[in-house]
Parts: sequence; structure tokens; C-alpha cells
Amino acid sequence: MVKLVGIAGSIGEQSYNRMLLEFIRNHFKKSVDIELLDINNVPVFNEDEDHNDNPVVHELARKISGANGVILATPEHNHTVPAAMKNVIEWLSNNVHPLNGKAVWIVGASYHTQGSSRAQLHLKQILESPGVNAFVMPGNEFLLSNAKEAFDEDGNLKDARTVGFLDSVMKKFLTFMKVIEMMDAPDPKNSHEEDMDSKHPVNTTVEDVDMTDPEWVEKAAEKTHAATGGDYVKLDRGLLTVDQLNYFLNSMAGELTFADDNNQFIYYNKNADAAHMLAPRTPDQVGNPLSAVHPDRVIEHVKQVLYALRTGESDVVSMPAQTGPNQHVMHYYRAMRDENRRYRGVNELVIDIMPILKYYLAATGQKLVKDPDAVPMSPITGLDAVTGASKHSDPTDATSGASASKSVEKPATKPATDATSGASASTADAAPAAPEEPVDTDALTGASEEPEAGYTAAGDATPAKQPAPEPESSDTDATTGASQS
Amino acid sequence: MKKFVALVGTNTAKSTNRKLLQYMKKRYADDADIEVVELKGLPIFKKTKEVFIPQQARDIAEKIEASDGVIIGTPEYDHSIPALLSSALAWLSYGIHPLMDKPVMIVGTSYGTLGASRAQAQLRQILDSPELKATVLPSSEFLLGHSLQAFDDNGDLKSATESQKLDSLFDDFLEFVDLTDQLDNSKKLHEHAAATFSWDNGTTGDDK
Repeated sequence: MVKLVGIAGSIGEQSYNRMLLEFIRNHFKKSVDIELLDINNVPVFNEDEDHNDNPVVHELARKISGANGVILATPEHNHTVPAAMKNVIEWLSNNVHPLNGKAVWIVGASYHTQGSSRAQLHLKQILESPGVNAFVMPGNEFLLSNAKEAFDEDGNLKDARTVGFLDSVMKKFLTFMKVIEMMDAPDPKNSHEEDMDSKHPVNTTVEDVDMTDPEWVEKAAEKTHAATGGDYVKLDRGLLTVDQLNYFLNSMAGELTFADDNNQFIYYNKNADAAHMLAPRTPDQVGNPLSAVHPDRVIEHVKQVLYALRTGESDVVSMPAQTGPNQHVMHYYRAMRDENRRYRGVNELVIDIMPILKYYLAATGQKLVKDPDAVPMSPITGLDAVTGASKHSDPTDATSGASASKSVEKPATKPATDATSGASASTADAAPAAPEEPVDTDALTGASEEPEAGYTAAGDATPAKQPAPEPESSDTDATTGASQS
Repeated sequence: MKKFVALVGTNTAKSTNRKLLQYMKKRYADDADIEVVELKGLPIFKKTKEVFIPQQARDIAEKIEASDGVIIGTPEYDHSIPALLSSALAWLSYGIHPLMDKPVMIVGTSYGTLGASRAQAQLRQILDSPELKATVLPSSEFLLGHSLQAFDDNGDLKSATESQKLDSLFDDFLEFVDLTDQLDNSKKLHEHAAATFSWDNGTTGDDK
């Protein structure tokens, strides 16, 4: 659900602007989550003081940063915005700038006919100053005059036409927010324009922290007042503490890496030292632009992958890395998109599929054999549109090739056919005897129907003419089915 | 000799507006008695049932009442006047009206080029509001840009052009103070409006 924060500009005991915001919150609660922020205890701004000393300012900045948009309700004091509201904006335009690039909708209530018109104009001027740099929705002025008579005893606006106008403006604001959120989306025209140096900050980029700093995580966390430890994080769908999230991600059956839409490497699930990782990463690399964690020779390939995901040409690109008789490490690059379908980065999963394959063969009593009809294919999937994808002799780890350059050089990837047949041969040799009892046929339909077809057809109903099925789909079927049985 | 109150529009220790006002106090010592008054320490304006006004605001109001005019030095924060100054003006129009028909001269400094031009424009509009109704010296912008470099070690303006401009503006202000004494036609109206003004009824268009 879209998340907004609302701030009423006056800190008087009674405020019609607060009533207006409360009405807006209740009126739209089915479609928009609006949290009203309290500015009563914000100290007087002083440029000599550091905001870091003040938890109230912290909290306001954090909530505004986390919201999709902001509603400001201003009365008019002496032809301008109340000092209380201006005071908050001064705090939020000095050391921290949470309103930067944020969509803002201004509303106002007043006793008489003016409906805070002059205060709204001043507020627009203030919000557009460089230190604040918010995006104020143009037009659509909402001026509630004669506020004393406007509400009934339940705090609802009495006039249906006013409510109708509010509905129409909220609808426009929801669209306005989407447009604003898209404004900072990097938009390379081709794969060469993918900015591997991460110089196009997006609205999640932490500004003013050196990306190559080994302490980037610590410094960026301090800058953003990041949640830590026992702090709860509301997720879609669930509620976990930061600790719980770490337990969860660090115990994933695979290595996960997050590079955002500015091509900045911002996370990996650190559960092992680099020496024990399939695609080694080190803690100091986090925060780096992707160019800093890849050797030059793979940069163009990485750009192709990113561009295919960003533009929606592919949702998943996969490629093998280390392959051999006992190992078949796959890298899966998945596009992450927000509710507007905007690309928000790449989710890389590195996993050795050989144990899964071996288990599957053992559990279903099968072995691998060469497919005489196999058509040679590229080991890389998801880059069909990119000519020459199949010619990549070095499909190294798109997000983390760097690690290769920094630590271990990965074994060269073999051509597709070798990789597949090598794997099948060795697995067939190693395949243990079939189990005594027949396995659940529902779960492993393909297997029981075509017991001799080999692993290429066994995972699901994939016809045998497709020599290399998407290993993930077989995995998924097998595991899901198994857990059901 | 005329008595003026000079309000420092910000609370920062490094304010160049304070420097400018102190410079004016020294430079015009023969023509006027200028008292530089700090706003630092004033709380953010807040309405209460008791119509409580902090003592510091009452003290400032008293000084203004006893003066012949007010000089306001304002920086520019986010294209407008500092919340502290805005807050002070709200306190100074909350059931009390020391600035009503009081001659006011606005000056402003900024680190950059613009010299607080937008803040000054807003300040004029604010001082013209019904609860304040000050009489602001017209056509008289004094915008001191690059203010960090503008003063020498004695606190004097380095630029002769700037100091001459300020001299003539201040001379104008001295005459303006005498002139405004004669503008008494609307004064009674203002006083009446102020006397009957209520923040709860918002008779002048003000609002919560």
C-alpha cells in the first residue's frame, strides 16, 4: 500500500489543519496508509547544532524518507506558514535532506475566506529552495475556508462536494507520486550506457558516503539512522526484527547479492568467509560501484545482463560458473521491480545445483545418460536478444566478478555441451541405487512417466528434445512436491 | 536622539546579520541609539488557551514600544526568513501589538550572492499582515551578499559602495520615522482592529 506521512503545520492545542489531515487519513484508509507526524517537540532550529543530537528530528527524517509522499497542511499566521512548520523544514534541509525529491501535496484550512492561500504560496517557495528540493504537486490547490463550520462532530467534512474534490486531488497525487518516483530512474539507451560507476543516484542511494569506503555499511547506516538488531521491520508479508532477517538470509541455501538500480553493490548474505564462498565477496566491498568489483574484461558482459533485466527484456538471466564432475555452480540474476514495474536492482543467487541433482537422481532411482539428440546450446539463458551471448567464453559472475579479481580466479567455464554431458556422465556414475519403495508419483510425475529419459526430462514434463532444462524449474518441482508428500 | 531596536533574525553564533547590525550601531552612534536585541532563546510560537506569551517576547515588545523604530536583520533559510524570526513576529502579534505602525527597516546578509532577497520580500509581506501592520521603509532593499568576506577585523564594511548605500538608506529611515508620525489616518483603524482582534475568531483572516 502507498505510504504517506502528513504534517499539520500548527502546534496549537486545537488545529483545524490537524483535523483536516485526520479526516484525510480516515477517508482514504482503505487505499492509502497515512501516518500523521507530531512536530510539537521539535526544538528551535540552530545551524550551529547538529541534528544528530536530536532524536525527534531523527525520527521525522526517517519517517519522511520511508514514505512515498508527504502531505503538508498549513494554516496561515501573519500571511505566512507557521513558524513551527518552517522550523521543521529548516532541520530537514540542513544536515539531512529527507524531502529531497519527495512528492509533496499542500493543503490548508483557515477560519475565513482566504483558506491559507498566502501561506501555501510561501510554503511552495520554501519547498522549492535547493536545500529542501521537494516536488510540490502543481495546481490542485486545496483551500478549506470557514474551517470552523466545515466539520461535523465526528470530524468529517460536511460538504460532499469538498470531499469529492479531495478524492479527485488524492487520485492525482497518487499518479504524481508515481511520476516523481520514476524521475530518478536511470535510463540507459543501450547496454554500453549502463553506468557501472554508479554515478546516477536513485532515491535509495545514500548520499555523501564514499562508495569505495571499506566502512561504507557502517557510515551509510549511521547517516540513515538504519534500523538494527531488535528493531522490527514490516515486510510483505510478515514482520521480522533485523536480527531475524539476518538469521533468515544468512541461512539461505545459496549466496545472495543485491545490486541496486544505480548498479551499486549494497548487500550480500554473509555467512562464510570469502575463501569458502562459491562467488567470493568480502565485507569491505559492500557499497562499491559494480565497476570496482569486476575485472575490466567482464564489464561489457555484466552490462548486457543488467540492461536486459532493467529494460524487461528478461526477468532472469542464468549462467554457469564453476562446473565439473562434482559441482555445477549456477548464477541466477533476477530483476527486482517495484509496484510500478520500475527496475530496482538485481537479485543474484549463486548456488551449486549438483547436490540437488544427485539427490533427485538417487531419490527417483535414475541415472544420467548422454542424449544423442542433444542440440548444442548456450549455457547462458535470458540473454537471447543479445547477439553473441552464446559466444561469451567467460560468463563470469555478473555482480561479483570482482571478487574473482580480488581473490580466487575461477576456473574457466566450459562450453555448454561439455558442461552438461560432463555433469551427466559423472552423476550417472555416482548415482546410487534406486530406492526400494516407489517414490511419490504425484510429486515426481515426469520421473515416473519416463524413468529412463535421464535428468534432462525427468524434472518435469519438459520434452526430451530440450537438452538443458531450466535447472531451477526442476529443482522447484522436485522440492515442492517432496515437501508436499 | 532617536532610539531603535535592532532584531538579529537568527540564533547562530556566526551570524553576519548580527555583525551588520553591530556595525550600524557603531557607525550611526551620533544619529541614533541602536540596541541590538537577540531572538535566540525564544520558543517556537504556539497558541494556548491562556494566551501565554514568554517573558523574553514581552521584554522585546516593551523595548519596541519604547523605541522610535525597528531594524530587522534577516538571513535567508530555504528562500524565506528563519523560523526563529517568524516565531518572534508571531509572539509580537499574539494579543500584543508593539509593531503596529512602527517604522521598520529591513536589512539582510547572505553568504552567497543574493543577500537574502527572497526572505526580505516575504518579510515585507509578513510585516504587512493585519496583526502586525508595521510601516516598512519602502524601496529600500539592503542586500549584502558574500557577507563572510564583507567585514574587516574591526567589524567595518570593507566596501565603500556598500557603506555609502547603507548610509543613505539609514538617512532615509531617519526621515521616514518622522514622516510616519504624520500618517495617522489609518492608525486609529489599526488600533481598533488590534483591540478587537481575537485569535480564536480570526477576525483578520488569521488561522490556527
